[in-house]
Amino acid sequence: MADTMANAAPAARFLTRDRIIKWAPLLVLGVLILLFPFFEWLEDIRAGEAHAYLIDSRFFSIRNAARIGIAAAPALMVAIGVTFIIIMGSIDLSMEGTVSVCAVVFAFAFLAWGGTVLSWAWLAIPAAMLVGAAMGFINGLVHVKLKIPSFMASLAMGFVGTGLALLLTGGDRTRVEDPIFRSLLTERWFNFPVMVYVALAFLLIAWFIQSRTTLGRNFYAVGGGEELAHASGLNVERVRLMGFTLAGVFFAVGALLAVGRIGIAETATGNNFMFVSITAVVVGGTALWGGIGGVWNTLVGVLIVSVINNGMVVIGLPAYVQDAVLGILVILAVVLSTDRRSVSFVK
Amino acid sequence: MTLETLKPYLPWITLFVLAGIVGIANPAFFNPSGLIALVADITPLFIMALGMTFAIYIGGIDLSVQQMANLVTVIATVYLAQFGIGVALICIIIGFLIGAISGYITTRLYVPSFVSTLAMGFVALSGAKYLSGERALSMDATLRDRSFGWMFGNTAGVPHELVIAGVLLFIAWFLQKRTTFGRALKAVGSGELAAVASGLNVDRIKILAFAISGTFAAIAGLMFSVKLSGGDANLANGFLLLAIVAVLVGGTPLTGGVGGVVNTVIGTLIVVVIRAGMVYLEIDATQQQMVFGIVLIVAIALTIDRSKLRGVVK
Repeated sequence: MADTMANAAPAARFLTRDRIIKWAPLLVLGVLILLFPFFEWLEDIRAGEAHAYLIDSRFFSIRNAARIGIAAAPALMVAIGVTFIIIMGSIDLSMEGTVSVCAVVFAFAFLAWGGTVLSWAWLAIPAAMLVGAAMGFINGLVHVKLKIPSFMASLAMGFVGTGLALLLTGGDRTRVEDPIFRSLLTERWFNFPVMVYVALAFLLIAWFIQSRTTLGRNFYAVGGGEELAHASGLNVERVRLMGFTLAGVFFAVGALLAVGRIGIAETATGNNFMFVSITAVVVGGTALWGGIGGVWNTLVGVLIVSVINNGMVVIGLPAYVQDAVLGILVILAVVLSTDRRSVSFVK
Repeated sequence: MTLETLKPYLPWITLFVLAGIVGIANPAFFNPSGLIALVADITPLFIMALGMTFAIYIGGIDLSVQQMANLVTVIATVYLAQFGIGVALICIIIGFLIGAISGYITTRLYVPSFVSTLAMGFVALSGAKYLSGERALSMDATLRDRSFGWMFGNTAGVPHELVIAGVLLFIAWFLQKRTTFGRALKAVGSGELAAVASGLNVDRIKILAFAISGTFAAIAGLMFSVKLSGGDANLANGFLLLAIVAVLVGGTPLTGGVGGVVNTVIGTLIVVVIRAGMVYLEIDATQQQMVFGIVLIVAIALTIDRSKLRGVVK
């Protein structure tokens, strides 16, 4: 549709395909943020109660924004990890397994080494990130060295990860009750809990890696055209391996925040991260074909997904609708971001 | 003798070697009635893998099968009282439709099948949660026996599940080997661009392949629901990994084009043997998923046709 618009009239050239794709996610987020309070307003007006649009909204409030931030922080970390992979034109579906393993290893190490951040137990945090890196690295090895398409290699590694977490826990939950660690959730600065700021800090780190390092530029080079990147002397295999390792580290950070949020580490800690993060990345405007998008797109995507999930609850829609909405959303996003002239066929 | 010439026989060799190992460790494994019970027990998984074979055969994948089965267990349980045996028809139609929609999204809208089927799986999950009210439901025993009692039980020592599996296998085999659709499937799986160039309606064939996958997943869900006498939006969780393993270990590579439904029989038997072996060798149930994940990686690595990946593995 964008193509016909661009070709129809010179005046319409302002709305080029690239521009639309670039700004659509932000526009969608804005519309959603205004839409949910509208439904609340509609409901109250129908019931004959006084309701000032936005001002009386339960959705459009600082308190709810903090709630959305808490829900979005771990998902943002996982989604940023997979963003690097999708920029390279690959995909990583191992996050559920990796998050579970990292969460469980962290909890075990944390309790074994003292159980409070003020003792040697703080080492459990870097340990969990190392475990994430190792799992990402193995994932990358399976993909690159065995030449297995990444979606299948990572899906299989995800199963291995979930199995490993199950093996470590035996199905039990581990509680992490250290008040200092839990201050991720309980301590608030300017109405938002610390975990939101931690997530933003890692977002900045990811942005730095993406835009200011050779590795970040190489991700785009590989995604823009692997043969070309290879021909110009880039060690594509190494870039891919480092990409998957980096993704593993971000999955681990997501696991830490997820444990900080509920205070429990278990095999199920990783549940639902796969679909939410892939949806967020794609909805944010990072194309599944690689080369386009980045971590800021992912921030917008995660916010869209979190706002939808939260807003649907606020306006009283049952939770089961969310799965279907996300499912349709991800298909729409992929469809809209695909330039059909450049795709010959799809498996 | 190189690995390439051995390749077609690898699944058979794997099956016999594994069965031998398990049999030596525990001679009771070869007890015929025990074996039949083991095989009958895995019928729903086999049916699901049979359908998945079509999706993989054309070079795609169907990640929605598990959620499809979940949805069907709920539908079958909720509507059994109202429609009796007719509920089977509803399940099959729903499976066909959801599969066809996944296929349409993949072919006409250019969404890779792992994304489109994953997304449709979540749509199905949503439906399952809605219909079940997120509770575990159970079937009325008399109603179940009246409509679906024939699914289970024995005739002359042969469990009825095996008969059903055999009939479905025959249908799938017939579709694949004895129809023009089957030959078209092979053409698409062997080289999609060539199939397009030779004038095949590739889109329609692919959509049908996904629809078949959905249909079989629905039948698997129905059997599972009758077997456990209930429905739940999470009942069939854990099937996806094993279904993919069964297809790939059987020798249908992720790149499609070779293998087929008979290979999936071998693949499913390998899964049965591995499972039985883990029980006999006292490998904890919690370790099974990890083992199958590793088996999956090995199977893909051994079977995948790298010449088809055109140099770039994404």
